[in-house]
Amino acid sequence: MSTDTIEILRRTEAPIHPAPESFVRKYIFSIDHKVIGVQYFIVSGLMILLSGLFAEAIRVQLTAPHNTFLTPQQFDEAFTFHGTLMVWFGAIPMVTGAFGNFVMPLQIGARDVAFPWLNMFSFWTFPPAVLILLSSLAFGAPNSGWTEYPPVSLQAGVGIVFWTTAVFTVGIGATLTALNFLTTVIKMRAPGMTFTRMPLFVWASAVTAVLSLVATTALASALGSLFLSHVFNVPFYDPSRGGTVVLFQHMFWFYSHPAVYILIIPVFGIVSEIIPTFARKPIFGYKLIAFSTVSIALLSFMVWAHHMFTSGLGPWVTLPFMILSMLIAVPTGIKIFSWTATLFGSNLRLTTAMLFVLGFLSTFTIGGITGIMLASVPVDWHEHATYFLVAHIHYVLFGGTLMGVIGGVYYWWPKVTGRLMSESLGKWHFWLTFIFFNATFLPMHFVGLLGMPRRVAYYDPAFQGLNLFISISAFLLAGSFLLLFVNAFWSLKKGAAAGPNPWGARTLEWMIPSPPPYYNFKETPEVYATPYGYGEPLPYSAPYNSVSTTPTY
Amino acid sequence: MTVHTEALGHEHGHGHGIMTQEEYIEQRDTRFLGFLLFLFTDSIFFTAYIFAALYLRSAAPVWPPVGVERPDVNLGAVNAILLFGSGITAHYAMHRLKESRIAGYIWFTIATIILGSLFLGGQAYEYAHIHATWSGSSFGAAFFTLTGLHGFHVFVGVIYLIVTLLQSLGGTYTPERHFGLTAATLYWHFVDVIWVVLFFLFYIY
Amino acid sequence: MAAISAILIVLIAIWPINNTLAVAATSDYGIDALFKFMLYFAAPIFVFVNGYVLYFARRYKHRRDEPADAVGIPLYGVVPLEIWWTVLPALLMVVLGIWSAVTLFGLYKPQAGALNVEAIGHQWKFELRYPGLKSSFYGDFYLPIDRPVTMNITSADVVHSFWVPQFRVKLDMVPGMVQQLHFTPTQIGNYPLVCTEFCGIGHGDMRTTVHVVSQADYDKWFSGEQQQVAAASASAGALNLAAGVVSKGQAIFEQKCAVCHNMAGFAQKKVGPGLQNIFSDPAHPKLVDGSAPTPEDVAGIIEKGYSGDIGVMPNAQANGLSSSDVANLVAYLKSQSK
Ligand code: HEA
Ligand code: HEA
Ligand code: HEC
Ligand code: CUA
Ligand SMILES: [Cu+2]
Repeated sequence: MSTDTIEILRRTEAPIHPAPESFVRKYIFSIDHKVIGVQYFIVSGLMILLSGLFAEAIRVQLTAPHNTFLTPQQFDEAFTFHGTLMVWFGAIPMVTGAFGNFVMPLQIGARDVAFPWLNMFSFWTFPPAVLILLSSLAFGAPNSGWTEYPPVSLQAGVGIVFWTTAVFTVGIGATLTALNFLTTVIKMRAPGMTFTRMPLFVWASAVTAVLSLVATTALASALGSLFLSHVFNVPFYDPSRGGTVVLFQHMFWFYSHPAVYILIIPVFGIVSEIIPTFARKPIFGYKLIAFSTVSIALLSFMVWAHHMFTSGLGPWVTLPFMILSMLIAVPTGIKIFSWTATLFGSNLRLTTAMLFVLGFLSTFTIGGITGIMLASVPVDWHEHATYFLVAHIHYVLFGGTLMGVIGGVYYWWPKVTGRLMSESLGKWHFWLTFIFFNATFLPMHFVGLLGMPRRVAYYDPAFQGLNLFISISAFLLAGSFLLLFVNAFWSLKKGAAAGPNPWGARTLEWMIPSPPPYYNFKETPEVYATPYGYGEPLPYSAPYNSVSTTPTY
Repeated sequence: MTVHTEALGHEHGHGHGIMTQEEYIEQRDTRFLGFLLFLFTDSIFFTAYIFAALYLRSAAPVWPPVGVERPDVNLGAVNAILLFGSGITAHYAMHRLKESRIAGYIWFTIATIILGSLFLGGQAYEYAHIHATWSGSSFGAAFFTLTGLHGFHVFVGVIYLIVTLLQSLGGTYTPERHFGLTAATLYWHFVDVIWVVLFFLFYIY
Repeated sequence: MAAISAILIVLIAIWPINNTLAVAATSDYGIDALFKFMLYFAAPIFVFVNGYVLYFARRYKHRRDEPADAVGIPLYGVVPLEIWWTVLPALLMVVLGIWSAVTLFGLYKPQAGALNVEAIGHQWKFELRYPGLKSSFYGDFYLPIDRPVTMNITSADVVHSFWVPQFRVKLDMVPGMVQQLHFTPTQIGNYPLVCTEFCGIGHGDMRTTVHVVSQADYDKWFSGEQQQVAAASASAGALNLAAGVVSKGQAIFEQKCAVCHNMAGFAQKKVGPGLQNIFSDPAHPKLVDGSAPTPEDVAGIIEKGYSGDIGVMPNAQANGLSSSDVANLVAYLKSQSK
């Protein structure tokens, strides 16, 4: 046997090599996908928190039409950082870096991702990017929103250079993670785990990886052009030297529309795991759910110009983008209806994780439908860049992504930490979040339709009443997250031991101890059937077919 | 050491359901796929800027804009020949290695490195003599950004080839075991192909 | 109980949306009808999804007396059902798509006899120019009721946006591009004109008022403004190219022309071409026709306006130029030409 062969076998099948000993190799420069997942979880969780604080600053300013809490410059920085942090530094690393890293390799029965060292490198692009981004606050911070359209973004100080560098850096990490995940899913599945036997979260991770590979690089080139325009005065976007302003919008949205699906598809995966576990029955329409994920991804590359319906593209250009945007309702609808149908005839356990998923079904449907309303060009001419749009994005980003993420946190917390969280606290958290979420973002539809544009530090006094209501709800919404922190700390200190499979789930990560050992699987499992056959024997080789699937929480 | 090859059978639809050890190992080798995916994202980077160049072109009344001259097509053609030549030598180098003809491999690799360096020299000469600037016009913006990015890739490729050459002198690569070389050759061909597109975009079309 | 609360939520949502729209409508392109159509199909979808979620959650909830490992029925899918919920939304989207497309093309159709107004975005104010009026307006402006309007929209610096919520239509003001927006005000009243595209720290205050008034009131306002123009041009006198003063021309150029033109080579387009060397550079194809233009040619373009492949250039009246202004401009353009 050649040396190559031996090396490869050592990596995949060989006996367990010893876990790292030193603190640094174990927790900081770790190559273990589970540790990296937790690292991503902590940093991106902090970023969501920080971004939430910026959001609350926005809401304080908007309690009065001409509030002096923030200067317009500070206000503009606030929504720029809110959007930037939420999207690139919070939600995307959370759903790919944290959930993808921790859960996906376990679910396919692998010992690690395909390139563990690369995985470590990906993570370590992230904290420096955060530092670069935050340091821009000291150097004339960028202030034209997370979209940073030129020419206005080029009028800012060097902050924009920091901003592009930071997003570029975190983008490199995201691209390498995607490359790593896609290779992992293609190459590292346990024997017998065919594509149609993969858990749906794995499907979601793989499709997301494809989206990232294509789109994030396109974003990198858009950021690069902005960087060059600012630093070397390159005239991509200067009409007086032959540049065109709208070009940037094309380049940006070619990435950023797929990006919103990078944000939601892993959450579709999370939801598809949580629902069968607590409904205690197979997911309804497995193949169609997997297939609809793929078709959403394909469509997502053909709709970017729906963000530019008022930029002056002609009717013949906007028309196909409009039709394709509307078509996304079909595969997304398939998912929503299949999840709902999974609840039929179930034996439903209403745990906190499940409640957040039911909340997701409700709020994401609203957000999706307002998306369809925005996709119709004539109607978008009224709604574009108003608070109606802000309402849409929060119904999909908070009501979709964040709801699903929190559900996922409650679901996998026992696996990661080995301890249960408090269910009663969790239920309080759910109801408060759900109520105040709707109270915050539902009225935004109305102010928007009435005529309030987005990104304004000052507004028409006619809208004061609604804005005050929104702001108060937003403060209470942020407050509701305290319960999550209390619950987490309580669980780490006092929570009951979880055991390997507290929810009685059937995917592979629940077949091993909580928290999983360094090497995940002592022996690579073999898979005989889809994981979702509740009531049937487990489809895994020994010893994995001997784990109990009776819920023990 | 044993591998459960029989049990792996049903994973692959290969007729009798049993995978040979070679197939199994090939299936588990992640590096090649990983490298292909890397080249794929890298090509998106170029594609985005090529799209930008075409977009700027379509927005301009005349192309290149008045007062800006196209770069000299002869020089571009010479550069193209240099680069394609290096692609051919790189191809043969790989072959020689697989045939265990190490001397041939070394000479062909040195030729590739020299041709690549000549290309970079040609490009430097072109930058010094062209009647356009990076910040002067949309043509300049597209031309210097894309050819600069490409030149950077060639530069990295030359370094990469030098490193593989030194490594193979140290005996890192054998006729059976040469993934680093395969990757370098693939990368070099990729850079070649990009130049075809850029040549059409800036010198001819 | 569940169904009732779902319906309640929908009513809470629909009622104000319907009413927030009703306030407005001074022009209807079918946008409101389209929006209401979407609202009426969205409501049942929402009730359907939420109703079932709530119903199932109650109906199939695990009961204490069931064993801990009780499972649901092993249902992997029902093909006809899956076909229905793929086909029905698709059909709905086709209907919505066709309806939207028809409405969309209506939006782009210019109407006969439209009043042409130019709107130019600046950080942070709207500049408006009327044909036949000298002045640019930076404050409130007036439109007659029931007369179609074509807004020619562009920007002098960054991207802005032109939006009167009650007119429903919105278009970005993009530097380097002139675009047209068509609408007809149909109700007398004062409406806000707001910028919706982020344009810098003044964005939040970039608002002004549009007064839609009766034709008589509009005429009164217009002739008042026109008299000022007449008074101004009376003092200016007839066109006398020889009397042009370069420095004055330069000042006017920077004030009125630099929005669309650079003083640079032809290719250095902004909205119109760059105007350096206009008397010698053969790149100005429509101007020179092979032979060099005369000062009179150029004066003619500035006076009458010009429309060609690149776009539309307003005439002297729209630009608010007197004849002496034209003479000064020609002198300045000459001074900038080899
Ligand atoms: C998680 C993120 C996410 C998701 C999933 C979506 C989903 C969708 N979005 Fe959204 N969108 C954003 C995040 C997201 N969006 C953001 C961040 C912006 C603003 C960026 C900025 O400018 O800052 C934006 C902006 C935005 C615009 C631009 C508006 C403008 O600027 O003027 C448009 C226009 O078409 C749009 C459309 C859609 C559509 C059609 C979907 C569809 O995918 C929705 C499909 C889902 C459903 C329809 C619901 C479920 C389906 C059923 C229950 C079946 C039955 C339903 C029907 C038959 C209708 N979105
Ligand atoms: C995931 C994305 C996300 C989320 C969750 C939110 C959450 C919130 N957003 Fe955000 N928002 C955006 C994405 C998001 N937003 C984007 C992309 C924009 C566009 C920016 C632009 O214009 O450029 C925007 C714009 C935007 C505006 C418009 C600004 C303007 O145009 O002027 C407003 C105004 O009220 C607002 C408010 C809020 C509020 C009150 C919340 C509240 O829900 C916040 C409540 C607090 C938290 C959610 C923090 C609690 C979380 C934790 C403590 C961490 C939990 C940890 C784990 C889950 C592990 N947002
Ligand atoms: C609203 C925009 C706008 C303004 C303001 C404007 N122009 Fe123009 N101008 C144009 C456009 C567009 C063209 C090109 C028309 C075409 O060829 O399609 C043009 C063409 C011209 C030409 C002909 C150039 C050629 O090469 O064909 C001259 C001369 C000219 N403008 C002078 C002026 C002067 C002087 C002023 C200031 C009083 C001015 N313009 C103001 C838009 C404008
Ligand atoms: Cu002008 Cu916003
Ligand atoms: Cu989009």
